[in-house]
Amino acid sequence: MRITVAKWNSADRPVYIASAFVVLILAVGTIYTLVAQGTATLLSPSYLMQQLQIGSFLGVVAAGMMIVILIGHIDLSVPWTLTTAAMLATAVGGPWAILLGLSLGAVVGLVNGVGVAYLRLPSMIFTLAVNAVLQGSMVAMTGGTSPQSQATELMRFLGAGTLMGIPVALLVWTLVSVCVSTVLTRTPFGRSLYIVGNSEAAAYLSGIPNKRVIVVSFILCGLLTALAGLMLAGYSAKAYQGMGDLYALPAIAAVVIGGANILGGSGKYRGTVAGVLVVVFLNSVLSIMQMSEAIRQIVYGFVILTMLLVYRRKA
Amino acid sequence: MAIENRVPHLCLQGVTKRYGGITALNNVDLAVHKGRIHALLGENGAGKSTLIKVVSGVVPRDSGRITLNDREIAFSTPRAANEAGVVCVFQELSLMPHLSVAENISIARPPRRYGLIDTKAQIRLAESLLARIGCADIDPRSRVGELSLSRRQMVEIAKALGKEPELLILDEATSALTHRDVELFFEVLHGLRAQNLSILYVSHRMHEIEILADRLSVFRNGSHVASFDRGEHDEAEIVEMMIGREITTQYPTKPAPKTVPPFLEVSGLSWGNGALRDLSFTAGKGEIVGLGGLDGQGQTQLLLALFGVLKGVTGSVRIGAQAAGINSPQEAKNARDRIAMIPEDRKTEGLMLAMSVADNLISTSLDRVCRGPFISEEKARDTVNEAIRRLRIKIGDPSDPAWTLSGGNQQKVVIAKWLMIEPEIILLNDPTRGIDVGTKQEIYQLLRALADAGATVVMYSSDYDELIGCCDRVEVMYDGRIVATLSGESLTEQALVSHALNLGNGVARSKEMEST
Repeated sequence: MRITVAKWNSADRPVYIASAFVVLILAVGTIYTLVAQGTATLLSPSYLMQQLQIGSFLGVVAAGMMIVILIGHIDLSVPWTLTTAAMLATAVGGPWAILLGLSLGAVVGLVNGVGVAYLRLPSMIFTLAVNAVLQGSMVAMTGGTSPQSQATELMRFLGAGTLMGIPVALLVWTLVSVCVSTVLTRTPFGRSLYIVGNSEAAAYLSGIPNKRVIVVSFILCGLLTALAGLMLAGYSAKAYQGMGDLYALPAIAAVVIGGANILGGSGKYRGTVAGVLVVVFLNSVLSIMQMSEAIRQIVYGFVILTMLLVYRRKA
Repeated sequence: MAIENRVPHLCLQGVTKRYGGITALNNVDLAVHKGRIHALLGENGAGKSTLIKVVSGVVPRDSGRITLNDREIAFSTPRAANEAGVVCVFQELSLMPHLSVAENISIARPPRRYGLIDTKAQIRLAESLLARIGCADIDPRSRVGELSLSRRQMVEIAKALGKEPELLILDEATSALTHRDVELFFEVLHGLRAQNLSILYVSHRMHEIEILADRLSVFRNGSHVASFDRGEHDEAEIVEMMIGREITTQYPTKPAPKTVPPFLEVSGLSWGNGALRDLSFTAGKGEIVGLGGLDGQGQTQLLLALFGVLKGVTGSVRIGAQAAGINSPQEAKNARDRIAMIPEDRKTEGLMLAMSVADNLISTSLDRVCRGPFISEEKARDTVNEAIRRLRIKIGDPSDPAWTLSGGNQQKVVIAKWLMIEPEIILLNDPTRGIDVGTKQEIYQLLRALADAGATVVMYSSDYDELIGCCDRVEVMYDGRIVATLSGESLTEQALVSHALNLGNGVARSKEMEST
């Protein structure tokens, strides 16, 4: 909208900072590899493509998480929604695998949304409980070991395939991004997300169907999480215990690094994309530098805190 | 006058404050004396709030000199100001709704015993302060969130007195008070004046100022226009000083009383254990119907019931001779005869403060600015521009966040966003609370114009003047019931007050007899 162009700079500040940080990470990593190995591994197209492919799974989860964060809620059922979708899909196999996985995501989202919107339970508690139920169910189903079933061909294509040299996962993430970005900026539903996130009372009294907006948001988040699960199972050729564990908090971190308000109501989708890139490249550079897992976690946490402090100075 | 020879308690000389390019206070001189109530007058944005903030340490001044008891001061925090005896009650209520009254009152410095908060002493302190302002009926143990807005404001005043002020600053402190509490409050202020406190007082209610203030200072556009003792200028002159132009009539002229067929028909409406009891009234197209009475007698609930917010309402609501059957604001907005409601609290219920003015203005009409499934930039822009033009909203840019606007302009945004749906019925809950005279008049004229164009307007107001000046008919509520319907000749302040107290006309008449 033209009338928002005047504030382009201030609202996009986190996007610029996050993007600049991605460049900084790559620069530091490249200097390291040049000194240590004499090659600029990080800047080779194949390495970048591989990182973006891995990042796509997080990107798809973060897109869903952002929708829920915009309305001032959070979805902590992500890890096991992702795992459950992947496990059910590989277990059933065949042409119905993907449909079943996505349906599972939608149903979990529906349950989350109804719990938050109609039963008025705090999303943080409710989704955490749903996560526990899903985890228990899957452990019961698989006996606690990784299932032997394999991902279907289509899942393998989505997660590990390439199309004209570009990873299909990256294309899926791009498509998801275009859709989510369009919904957020161009549709009444997207605008409602920001309104509900700013003030639920004002939204309700403005005739916005609050509860429906909340339910639909959680369903979208569940769907996208399940999609990421299917892709990840395709990438690894199978589903495994704990495959979603590394997705909930990094997704939240990516959304917040991208400048969205964790309490809802503001944030741009571009920022979330930049946030995902920060998380992905930070992880890969730290692993290239052969830091121990402990140090990596410390640096990772420190970077997130620093970026949040940088954003705070604006407000 | 002799009093001018004494050293003033608080003295400002050439005080200037700028926010970016805007000069909020321009070279202001002001003297406040002990034992006097000093009123600050001016439209919103005239600089009164900034002056208060500078004096009480919320924002630093850019230049100039402020002395208290002849010693120069520059408070860096409100707490430092409090310790020097300067205490401010701000327009925005500062109470924590989930804490008890007693906890709120001593929130800054709770009484301690062995290093822990002494809850008994805390309750005793609250009791004594509440008794001092005539509010002994408020239980210090009750949660603030359970009290009505008026009672909360009294708690706020008790909290200020707990800091033992020498200079008490009140910014719109009576805006939410009911008639009964205002009288209590005036007694308290007179008592404090007798104890030689100096009081700096901001209010938009001219009547209060005439009753209360010993001295008045008028501000306009950040500058001090004049200071004078009460009675030196009449109301019309003061209003002229405030707005810099002459205002002929405060209220638009009412059409001659006529009977119009009812459009909105409410009968036997009840809700929630007597909050609303068997209410019946009608409103026709082109009428402005007022809801009167003390604050908290069910007026808010009645408006919410009509807007579909309340669940479990019994009785019938008919609109245009058809059962309304509205169960949510969304249904009210999209009904055959569209209903709009301007809520009580514009900051939390009316606006998304952090969002842009443009986003706020289209928030009720998202489906109307669409082309296909997508929002049309062109339609959205037209809607926003139309709203800004129609209500003459003063803004820098439509992309500015709503919180940057003055109170009056914020309220205009709330009204404008609802006019965008072209409502047949407009419900307003105290729409002019805490906004400046100029904007109030614009709102009165707007309401009359909407009624003349065929809309049905139902308005609650805590300001009796406004009900008399603005409404064709007033339904006075008491304890969830309508106790009187006043119109034409019978619509007088005396009648409103006596019915609001549920005394009936008999008392009003006998009082009149006594006074003659």
